[in-house]
Amino acid sequence: MDSFKEKFVEEALDLINELETVLLRIDKNTEDKELIEHIFRIMHTLKGNSAMFGFILIDQYTHQLETIYDFIRNGKMKVSSELLDLTLASVDHIRNLLDETNSSKPEIQNTHKNLLGRIGKIIGNNQSVPEKKTEIQVVKEDLKTFYVHFKPSVEILANGTNPLFLVEDFGTLGEYMAFPNNDSLPAFEEMVADKCYTSWEILLATKDDDQKIREIFIFAEDSCTLEIQELSDTNLLTVKGFREKITGIGALHKKIGIQKIKELLTSGEKSASKYDNVLLRDINDVANKLKNISSIRVSSEKLDELINLVSELVTTQAGLSLLAEKINNKELLAVAEDVEKLSRRLRDNTFGIRLIPIENMITRFQRLVRELSHELDKEVDFIVEGSDIELDKTIIEGLIDPIMHIIRNSIDHGIESKEVRQKLGKPKKGRITLKAFHSGTNVVIKISDDGAGIDTESIQRHALKKGLLKPDSSISRKDLLDLIFLPGFTTTDKITTISGRGVGMDVVKRNISDLRGELTIETEINSGTEITIKLPITLSIIDGLLVLIDKSYYVVPLSSINRCFEFRHEALVNAVNNLIYIDNGHVPFAYLRKEFGIKTTPPDIEQVIIVEYGNSFFGLAVDNIVGEYQAVLKSLGSMYREQDFVSGATILGDGTVALLLDPNKIISAFTYKLEKAELN
Amino acid sequence: MAKTILVVDDSESIREIVSFTLENEGYNVLLGEDGQDALKHLNNGPIDLILTDLHMPVMNGIEFIKLVRSNNDYKSVPILFLTTESQVAKKMEAKEAGATGWIIKPFVPAKLTDAINKVMR
Amino acid sequence: MSTDLTAIQTYLSFKLGDEVFAINVSKVLNILEMKPITKVPKSPDYLKGVINLRGTVLPVVDLRLKFGLAENKVTVDTNIIVISIDKEGDTIMLGIQVDSVKEVLEFKTEEIAPSPSIGTKYNSGFIEGMWRVGENFIMILNIEKVFSVEEIIDFKEHLTETDTLEKAIK
Repeated sequence: MDSFKEKFVEEALDLINELETVLLRIDKNTEDKELIEHIFRIMHTLKGNSAMFGFILIDQYTHQLETIYDFIRNGKMKVSSELLDLTLASVDHIRNLLDETNSSKPEIQNTHKNLLGRIGKIIGNNQSVPEKKTEIQVVKEDLKTFYVHFKPSVEILANGTNPLFLVEDFGTLGEYMAFPNNDSLPAFEEMVADKCYTSWEILLATKDDDQKIREIFIFAEDSCTLEIQELSDTNLLTVKGFREKITGIGALHKKIGIQKIKELLTSGEKSASKYDNVLLRDINDVANKLKNISSIRVSSEKLDELINLVSELVTTQAGLSLLAEKINNKELLAVAEDVEKLSRRLRDNTFGIRLIPIENMITRFQRLVRELSHELDKEVDFIVEGSDIELDKTIIEGLIDPIMHIIRNSIDHGIESKEVRQKLGKPKKGRITLKAFHSGTNVVIKISDDGAGIDTESIQRHALKKGLLKPDSSISRKDLLDLIFLPGFTTTDKITTISGRGVGMDVVKRNISDLRGELTIETEINSGTEITIKLPITLSIIDGLLVLIDKSYYVVPLSSINRCFEFRHEALVNAVNNLIYIDNGHVPFAYLRKEFGIKTTPPDIEQVIIVEYGNSFFGLAVDNIVGEYQAVLKSLGSMYREQDFVSGATILGDGTVALLLDPNKIISAFTYKLEKAELN
Repeated sequence: MAKTILVVDDSESIREIVSFTLENEGYNVLLGEDGQDALKHLNNGPIDLILTDLHMPVMNGIEFIKLVRSNNDYKSVPILFLTTESQVAKKMEAKEAGATGWIIKPFVPAKLTDAINKVMR
Repeated sequence: MSTDLTAIQTYLSFKLGDEVFAINVSKVLNILEMKPITKVPKSPDYLKGVINLRGTVLPVVDLRLKFGLAENKVTVDTNIIVISIDKEGDTIMLGIQVDSVKEVLEFKTEEIAPSPSIGTKYNSGFIEGMWRVGENFIMILNIEKVFSVEEIIDFKEHLTETDTLEKAIK
């Protein structure tokens, strides 16, 4: 019995999360019939199934909630802010109820009574008209789109049926597009004149249902195979880009297949800016419906184990390649190369599974904004761009707390009250934007508000007061802003219940650097504040270049490398101002032997790796370049936190440990050192 | 020969518990996530009874029942649908679509097997 | 420490030079032969580097250097003891390089003499106590305390104090 219950709990949690998302959407659009219908469906399913698995309280609870939403979909009630609050509170309560250990806790029982009371009151207020027991079947005037694959049997013409007439009959049901395909055409010599080798794919937009489509084939039923699928409950044929694309593909006269059509629909999202909101949502909904059909749930333990095995495979494969080179057998080398290619693909695939779109965590932020803005009586719009950007599951989990804190700060300290905003000539509604996008191998998340900004003078005053700054010292703006990240630092004189205790930003910064990310802040008085978080997409496997310095191996991430050059040792040692001359330009470089304090004799010929650094280039000098290497990244642990220029380690094929270098950190430390030296 | 039952419900947990119960009774169970998905089992072998939920995405129970009935091979297969107490109108609709009878949710496994055994007699 | 004085504690003893130390067996995961250590540049001397332990990257600390003693040559007896300790709320694994590993000892809590605290600034709890074995004393280390500080613990002074205590107890 237990495993069935578990399954139900999993499903119910998914449904609850879905409900939460829909509730936040309906907040912006309280009349939306589809959303109301969606909410009702979820309630109905929860109610129908919970008692089956012993969750009587949930059954009881959702029954009541369902009644309210039934009223709404029948037009007897409207969605109000109060109702939404109640329903969101219900979401939390039901989540709690799904954990059976909670049902006997007094707080939970109280909440249950309270919420039911509130629901009961609302129902009571609307009970003036007796409940209609009959359900009204909504007549849909909307057009649905069907995909039909019609393959007549080869002998169909012998039966006196002309398949073309059948295709044309679709016109009596609505607008259609027909695509013949010749996949089954035999070679010319084998073709027989009275046999039918063509099949058709038809897209039909119609008010009728698939029964009517079948009626077209009623006399031909035995002479063909028919596949009918409803693609959407809206008319896809009016979607401009879609029509052209499919016509183009159809012109090839090969079977398109419903898979390809699904792809066309989901790729249509990108050019969606041309379409108005209704159509955009239709496409998204179809894509979502279609996406839902082809996913399966996997336990995270199984996934973790799979990832470990793939990582070990990558390491072992490295050993194989090494051995193959040593033995230098042609056939073995060829096989080893194939194994390397395969394991690279396997690696990319598997690690891709752990990537989930950040929109999963966005719901939490939306709720936070909603609750806080109500609590503080400020009006705030929360806008998200790039919610489909994907990040490793672990990173997303680690981001939730820091971003919640940042948003909290924004609303509490950043966005001003309605009166202040009006006085400043700002729009009444404050705006917080979360933008996520790719930048190289990183994902960048920018959170900005159009609020009061951070007063750098205030920071300076507080820092002086706390003794963090000497009265006459000059400090750069960046360093001044960095002071915010010191533990316990706060510029507010009063601590609100929400923030201002100063325990926040240092923890936020540490959380982000634990994810191997970076946090920067930009602000302007009265204009707003922008916090930028830069993160690696995945934590675990890096494509790198294996290099040698003295007897130690290091790995430099391939993504940052531009080119490599050979230099004589003397040239490097005698370089003026740390500049080397390549490709008609000067590039600064760091001599890593010196930086790492390696005292042994350098080789005569050395290699300089040119990496991208911001908008320019920088060189790193090493002894030797060994070759490309897929590094399975292992953490060095907290003991080496200070040595941040080493982002981790990897185990080479022969068991040696190679250190993974972070070029950005090396270069910034190096340039900082130079600047300081210059100042002195 | 073991009889075959087609179970259609969009809830994985329901599908699991029902198929477990029925298989224990010695039935062979086929599953569908919704009406559309369940169609794949038609014309694929004998089906002795169909058990379907009504509220499902993609193709709901009523549509599914109608479709099944429209297929000559399945004109007389017993079709039971799952419903909650209060849905009188839905029950009528399902009967009109061609359903043989219904089972009320929530049900204990024993009740389910009772009802099915009776119909399968 | 257990308040039951008759409770038996199990320790692993090892040598750094002539001095014998012991740590509670519950912290010990493994004892390894010396293996190649990859040094991490720009790190303190006592952080010898990292080693590959069956696919995990493990930091290794030279306990002699951590205790302010001069570095010793690696011999066939040099071992790495892999320990698991609590640091700032997290459980971490690391290896400590010692001159040689001796044996597993059991003794009752009541047999442990309190650590010397004779007017020294070193009463910071690094040494939990001392146990007498014949003519010699074994210093029981609170290994978590040792690694709770980043600096080198100057044991030279500490050793002189224990010398004094040993002489006093003898």
